[in-house]
Amino acid sequence: MDQLDYTIHQPARLQIMSALCQLSERERVDFTYLKDHLGLTDGNLGAHLATLEGRGYIAVDKEFVARRPKTFVAVTPAGRQAFAGHVAALQLLLAPK
Amino acid sequence: MNISPEEAEKALLEIEASRVAMRGAIRSHRGHLFLWLWGFVWMAMSALYWIDGHRFLWEIVAFAAAGIVGSFVIGIVQDRQIRSRFDRRFAAVCATLLVFGYGVWPVLFGGFASHKAAFGYFSLLWMQLYIVAGIWFDIYLLWVGLAVTALIVAGFLLAPGFFWAFTLLCGAVLVGSGFYVRYFWR
Repeated sequence: MDQLDYTIHQPARLQIMSALCQLSERERVDFTYLKDHLGLTDGNLGAHLATLEGRGYIAVDKEFVARRPKTFVAVTPAGRQAFAGHVAALQLLLAPK
Repeated sequence: MNISPEEAEKALLEIEASRVAMRGAIRSHRGHLFLWLWGFVWMAMSALYWIDGHRFLWEIVAFAAAGIVGSFVIGIVQDRQIRSRFDRRFAAVCATLLVFGYGVWPVLFGGFASHKAAFGYFSLLWMQLYIVAGIWFDIYLLWVGLAVTALIVAGFLLAPGFFWAFTLLCGAVLVGSGFYVRYFWR
């Protein structure tokens, strides 16, 4: 049964998860690109990503690109499942009884 | 913690807005830039071959080199924003096709009888890669590969007098597919 997920149900984290779930399973997005895309600050995005990573909903990889550290973020299968369940639970709340 | 229907509705609207915005961003990272680049390179090469392949050989090589350099630049820039995991198995399949296509078959079967035969052969070789990439990753590449393959074969076998017109059309197919992928593909 689909359940509300209160880790995801926070405005910024909803945005983050919604955005990340649009990527294919092979794709990861750059931290700075995601930050600019969502209009968040470094600290704000970093804190929300840490929360989501702690729940196993996203994977954060750090690597060097042209000798500069870059952070890439991707949603995990567990994160996709949790987000889909959360959206379904929200839709159930709106469904006529 | 309970969520009211109003809150649920607001959350769903936020999710939808974020989804739509990210889809637009992802769409701008699909292969349309490569399709545009190679579509124009292909058309330029076809036009030069059509006018006089011997006279413009170096210009044709220069266009191909510009396409390769442009592809690297696009790849590097896009890879810094949205990155796909490197697929070794796919890379191995591509390498096999290219090694056989460039190094084995032409050597075993000798040179090409004409510029048309050479252009058609190498075009079909690259379209094999499109088709494999379409099967592997994103289906639109399969359709592009099949459409261009059909045009090349039709031009070569059915209308050899208009072969270069067919290859020009192939370039236009790549450019048009780029627009479709950029603005309409999922």
